[in-house]
Amino acid sequence: MSPDPYRVAPPEPHASPDVPRLTPLVQAHDLTRRWGRGSSAQLGVDRVDLNIGSGELASIVGPSGSGKSTLGALIAGIDNPTSGSLVVDGTRIDSLSNDRLARWRGRTVGIVFQDFHLLPTLSAEENVELAVQLADRSVHRRERRERSRDALASVGLADKRRRLPTQLSGGEQQRVAIARALVTRPRLIVADEPTGSLDQASGHVVFELLAGLTATGTTVLFITHDPELARRADRQIEMLDGRIATHTAAGIDMSPLVAAGTIDEQVAR
Amino acid sequence: MIRRLFREIGRAPVRILTSVMALALAIGAIGVLAIPAVSTNSLRDAAEADGIPQVIVPIDDSKTFDVAGIVGSVDNVDRAEAEVLTFVEIDGRTTDVLGVDFGNQEIDIVHADVGRLPAAAGEVLVTDGLAQIGDRFEIPLPGGEASSATMSAEVVGVGGTAFWSEDDVVFTSLESAAAIAGVDGANRIVVGTTDLSADALSDTSRDLRAALTEAGITTTSLPFTVPDGHHPIEEAIDQISMLVGMLGIVAGLVALVLLASTVNTLITERTREVAVMRALGAPNRQMRRRLRRLALSIAAAAVVLGLPLGIAISNFIARMILTEFVGITPGFAVSIPVMVGSALFALLGARIVAARAARRVTARPLAEALRDRNGSPFGRRLSERLTARVRVGALLDRTAVRNGVHQRARSFAMFAQITAAVAALLIVASLATTITDYNAAEIEPVQWGSRTFVPGPGLDIDASIADSDPRSEVGIDIAGELEGWETDLVGFAPDTLMIDRTMDAGRWFAAPGEVALSTGFAERIDVEIGDEIDVELASGSHRYTVVGLHPDSGRSVFIDTSELAADMNRPGMGNVVMSLDEESPAYMTGLLSVERLTDISEDDSGRDAILMIFTAIGAIVVAVAGLAVASGLAVGVYERRHEFAAMRAVGGRRRHIFRVVVAELLPLGTLGIGAGLVAGWFGGAAIMESFEASNAVEIGYTFATGAIPAAVGAVVIGSLLLGGLMVRRVTRQPVAVTLRGAA
Ligand SMILES: Nc1ncnc2c1ncn2[C@@H]1O[C@H](COP(=O)(O)OP(=O)(O)OP(=O)(O)O)[C@@H](O)[C@H]1O
Ligand SMILES: [Mg+2]
Repeated sequence: MSPDPYRVAPPEPHASPDVPRLTPLVQAHDLTRRWGRGSSAQLGVDRVDLNIGSGELASIVGPSGSGKSTLGALIAGIDNPTSGSLVVDGTRIDSLSNDRLARWRGRTVGIVFQDFHLLPTLSAEENVELAVQLADRSVHRRERRERSRDALASVGLADKRRRLPTQLSGGEQQRVAIARALVTRPRLIVADEPTGSLDQASGHVVFELLAGLTATGTTVLFITHDPELARRADRQIEMLDGRIATHTAAGIDMSPLVAAGTIDEQVAR
Repeated sequence: MIRRLFREIGRAPVRILTSVMALALAIGAIGVLAIPAVSTNSLRDAAEADGIPQVIVPIDDSKTFDVAGIVGSVDNVDRAEAEVLTFVEIDGRTTDVLGVDFGNQEIDIVHADVGRLPAAAGEVLVTDGLAQIGDRFEIPLPGGEASSATMSAEVVGVGGTAFWSEDDVVFTSLESAAAIAGVDGANRIVVGTTDLSADALSDTSRDLRAALTEAGITTTSLPFTVPDGHHPIEEAIDQISMLVGMLGIVAGLVALVLLASTVNTLITERTREVAVMRALGAPNRQMRRRLRRLALSIAAAAVVLGLPLGIAISNFIARMILTEFVGITPGFAVSIPVMVGSALFALLGARIVAARAARRVTARPLAEALRDRNGSPFGRRLSERLTARVRVGALLDRTAVRNGVHQRARSFAMFAQITAAVAALLIVASLATTITDYNAAEIEPVQWGSRTFVPGPGLDIDASIADSDPRSEVGIDIAGELEGWETDLVGFAPDTLMIDRTMDAGRWFAAPGEVALSTGFAERIDVEIGDEIDVELASGSHRYTVVGLHPDSGRSVFIDTSELAADMNRPGMGNVVMSLDEESPAYMTGLLSVERLTDISEDDSGRDAILMIFTAIGAIVVAVAGLAVASGLAVGVYERRHEFAAMRAVGGRRRHIFRVVVAELLPLGTLGIGAGLVAGWFGGAAIMESFEASNAVEIGYTFATGAIPAAVGAVVIGSLLLGGLMVRRVTRQPVAVTLRGAA
């Protein structure tokens, strides 16, 4: 692959559990997303500073309309910030072109949506396979299929891989979506209310699956309305009106420090 | 209704306006069917205004202008007038000269568009473009080789008559024309009759011949009849009209598919909205009524826009036909049946399609309708589950194919539109190749380089004149009638060099009473070698035996010149000098009209005129179909924008989405091209077949294989361009923004 001019830090080796956990994977500075101009402008995310370490499980909570989804979308690289800088996994993604960003997403991030967004015309297995293919063309067909089956097996759907999305329950569809997100072995998974459309039991399964991914060094950022689940995260971010209201990592409230920009998280730790 | 429409427009302006425009275009395209009516109306108006003649009788010099005295008592004859027809050469062009009795005309009335009618001797009126008012020219008068007498003519008016509108004509007084032609009376009688029917005219023309023969006047060729008061070109226009009708049907089919798919989409798009209202307690009946009204109001708006469009299209093309073929600039005409028909088509069609779609939309279980974004989810139908089982090919292609199966109505519509466009293209192109080949075939057997005619309608050339010239031959070319068909009787020497005597079957004539016949014509009238035929000539009916079939592509009877001359009561005479050279033989002097083979073979104006008209109609069909495909594609891509956004979220780039769109379009395009080629082949063949049947000639059919790459290229390039454009549109927004609207 050609050298990436947008890469600002040397590529890190894939994190493993023994690598120190708090190497920042996401570094946001003054991140703002606004729609429209002037008096009719809508603020989604307002000058947010945020670092998330590698292998962390981070949760975002907050009232409806507080900007959770917007922040998640920016970090997942499916939306473009209006201003500010955003470095994820060593790449500055705030100024990438559409196609570069897509390529970057395929390599780096897995996204899980509240309403799944599986391709309706593809079976569970094909949906997962497509993610591998789009992320990395060089993967051989045989390997692609194997990885897809493994991913589906890891979410407990080995026997339903031939089903179309319409032939799966909501919880099963979300598990396919998780398999699709993790099959590319991304450094980061962003899940926006992944349990929002599911009953409690299925929601629980989905959450456990996501939380378990951090064990392999994957960073998981999940947005939720469930305070119970949020509390189980390593890092909890609470949003209000587009800004981070409170930011708790390992039980310490970091928001004044981070917001003031005076202290590095490593030091705080 | 109007208020509701405006509210809808406010909500989704582009989609609604596109629907209205698409329907309007569909209605406009049906206007093609009005072309024949519009053009014949104009022709009939012109014919009636000018008092078109019903029977025209070419005669030898009548020695008097009082023809009413000779034929006035013939049954069915209402009025008869004398005319003198001859020709002169103006600026090297052979130009007809017609002498009429200005001021006393009731038939074929000459009118001046500019200037005035001639009043004094030497004054003339000319057809448009021939000369200007005030122009003068010297017309040589006959009187032997030594004569240098001329008549000085002055143009005092520009105009003419509907009957003569195709030609260059100089109109002048009977006396002046007679002086130019060297006759003492009329050489042509035009007759108006009481009964205009073809049967009555056929009787009348026989009676006229008898009356003239009794008065000692020879009719030199069969009278020409114009039944029903129609302009004679109307028959030709009718044939073109049939072609126009064929393409009109294609346009109508395209319009039908466009209507169905537009209305269907319009209503299916509202599934969720309707479901929400149903959930809030709106009864199904009321929802259905609302949907039907919506479709009707859109159809009504389309009618308002589409009817003027249709009128414009039909008048534009009718004008093209009339100015190209007849030289008449028609007035503005409207075909009420076609207008009413296309309005009904749009309103009824919209109602029927809307009613079906509305029933389907309201019949969906509420929960399901609320959940689904765009119609029924994939995998409900067996066909969908079956295609999902097919696990070959790239993943992106699989989604494309499965989506095509899922949206089968739209896929079919796009396929049908592509088929229609390709068929229309190929029919037009095949028309061109066939006419070109026919024109070539027509002159293929010809060996002469020039044919020279003298003024006057009779056999006025002494056949012995060419005896000492091995490169020329005196022949005859006159009109007769065989089995009800106007037929060329062509006199040649038995050992002529002027035409290729290679036969399709049998042999060239040799003995008296023997003739050869054009193969295609013989087939159409069921005549075989050895059969006897009765040919009606001006001199009466004559029986000949067919001994050979000649590859000539017209309706010709080939016969020995001396025999035909005798049968015409003019033994030893002819009316044309054929020469192997481009120039007429030196022994031909005086006023001559020379026809050169090179001029004929280089004259593509007839073909070009037909092609221009059909290219215009073809362009309309292709434009409507192209727009329909584009709108179908736009809807399809727009509906799947969330799917595409999801693909982008997992790393898909624009080219992947483009690939999906194209992969869905290409099979439809391929099938459409295939079906279009077949339909184009059969459509073209059917047109030619009916042309052959209505003309009793063999035209043949050359399928325009050369146009296939163009059609394929147009479909492929069009698909790629459209696909690229649509994909660009749906991928412009960030993924998150597109997906927000999904829930
Ligand atoms: N495309 C957009 N155009 C205009 N405003 C937008 C757009 N997307 C989001 N917003 C606004 O940005 C703000 C934050 O929206 P966001 O979806 O991030 O909220 P959220 O915290 O995810 O809410 P919820 O919990 O309901 O999902 C809201 O006020 C919303 O109206
Ligand atoms: Mg949200």
